[in-house]
Amino acid sequence: MRLRRRTGRVMDRDDRGGGWAPVADAPQDAGPDGDHVIDWRNSLAAKRAPTRGTPQHELLRIREDISTRWRATLIATGLVLLAGLWLFMATGSSSDLLVPSPSETWGGAMRLYDDGVLFGDIWASVRRILFGYAISMAIAVVLGILMGSFRSADSLFESPIAFMRYIPATALVPLMLFWLGIDELPKITLIVIGSVFFNILMVADVARNVPKELINAAYTLGAGRLKVLRRVVLPHSLPGIIDVARINLAAAWAILVVAELLAAEEGLAFRIARAQRFRQIDEMFALLIIFGIIGIITDLSLRWLRNRSAPWARA
Amino acid sequence: MSHGTVILRPEKLEVHGIVKRFPGGRRRPEVTAVDGIDLTVRSGELVCIVGASGCGKSTLLNIIGGLESPTEGLVAVDGERVIGPGPDRGMIFQGYSLFPWKTVAQNIAFGLEELGWPREKRRERVAELVGVMGLEAWADRIPKELSGGMRQRVAIARALAPEPDVMLLDEPFGALDAQTKRVMQDHLLEVWRTTGATILMVTHDVEEAVYLASRVYVLTSHPGRVAAEVPVPFAPGDRVPALKRDPAFLDLRDQVQDLLLDQVRL
Repeated sequence: MRLRRRTGRVMDRDDRGGGWAPVADAPQDAGPDGDHVIDWRNSLAAKRAPTRGTPQHELLRIREDISTRWRATLIATGLVLLAGLWLFMATGSSSDLLVPSPSETWGGAMRLYDDGVLFGDIWASVRRILFGYAISMAIAVVLGILMGSFRSADSLFESPIAFMRYIPATALVPLMLFWLGIDELPKITLIVIGSVFFNILMVADVARNVPKELINAAYTLGAGRLKVLRRVVLPHSLPGIIDVARINLAAAWAILVVAELLAAEEGLAFRIARAQRFRQIDEMFALLIIFGIIGIITDLSLRWLRNRSAPWARA
Repeated sequence: MSHGTVILRPEKLEVHGIVKRFPGGRRRPEVTAVDGIDLTVRSGELVCIVGASGCGKSTLLNIIGGLESPTEGLVAVDGERVIGPGPDRGMIFQGYSLFPWKTVAQNIAFGLEELGWPREKRRERVAELVGVMGLEAWADRIPKELSGGMRQRVAIARALAPEPDVMLLDEPFGALDAQTKRVMQDHLLEVWRTTGATILMVTHDVEEAVYLASRVYVLTSHPGRVAAEVPVPFAPGDRVPALKRDPAFLDLRDQVQDLLLDQVRL
């Protein structure tokens, strides 16, 4: 069987293998009344022809987008899996664990609400994080920009910060309670200590990544060093700084929980410790889920803020 | 004039005996990037420096811009010694180096703000340059929405805005495709003719150098020295695309190319 490619060349089966070879003596512009000519692209032969290259499934391509439908399906699957695991553990009779069902957990949450402590606890914890983390980020932005911009500042601060960073902040909880009492001050101090060193070093990295050419361009346009920091380094670092804040926020929550477990009169973790004392596992579960919800909300808002404040840096 | 006083007026830009050595370290020898370069650019002149890679041409331009300091030697603009960067020496880099969070108009206005121009004057100057560069439709876009040629036009406008004494161009068209590059060359010539700017440009493209410059400095490599100073005789009005097919042009281009080829070491 012969067929004609779109290029006009007439092809026939290669007698050596299964491939196709051009036919040398065929009239190259033969019409329908010459050789048997069929359209290569639509022919059954084309479908059966040998192939080249390896096809990749849409879901298994490295760093390629997937369709919105697949994305939504997979996100929903992830959530269903998590919920399914919870249900399985709550109902599975084989389990020795006491896992409250979703409705029991909801009941626990409602009991906390009816006791009038739920929003007080949420606000107490969130307030501590807001204060402590704002102080931490303020210190980190100033020191980090300095360290990322000046080798001198980097040399001066890097070793002490690296040293402090390796002291687990949780190990400082007893000391801070001893020094600062059981008020708000030790908790806010602990949030600062628990996050500021990571924040400083990561902001410094962000500032170091400001292209030297942009700084040079600003110099040749008449900007002094302070102006370069304010008008070039800071705006270029802004999206990165928001990302740093987003990533290290979890560390701030972790240290706050430890502080509240040991000494507090309100707060989400304090309430968890209390629920444990009274064996109210449903309340503990409700409080854990509230942590997760707060985390997701702040994460999404900071992502939104980053994209909003620096649309130029969006991928 | 037998008893008059002869005053030697300084050239617009003078570079005297610039040496740049990068100190070595353990297992790393000292490197001399630039070894005694002299050159001058007169007011309103467009001069090109050509050299193979490793001739220290970017280092030299950074020294003139005041971004690096020379190991030895002196740079002067209008007879004043350069000791740091300043808006009197506008620089244009191969990578455009536009501020990505600023619009085209804001990028162009950056230097004017630093000089403390009042808002109204700033707006006029930006509008003027946007017109000169043909960027009217793009004034409120940010750099990532622009093509390479557009970005380099913005960079030129931004450097021109504070009316610098000298413009220093570091392979400005090196990242552009061949067609855009030719358009930009003619555009640069037009800007140069209309503004009367003094321009010193570094390039590795010999044809570009001969097409644009009234004098071409050919640099040696490893270390960079001036191998030759080649005057280009074509009048400013002759510098149109057809010139690139003129036998006299091709001849001169080949001469410079040969000078440069002698310097290439692999």
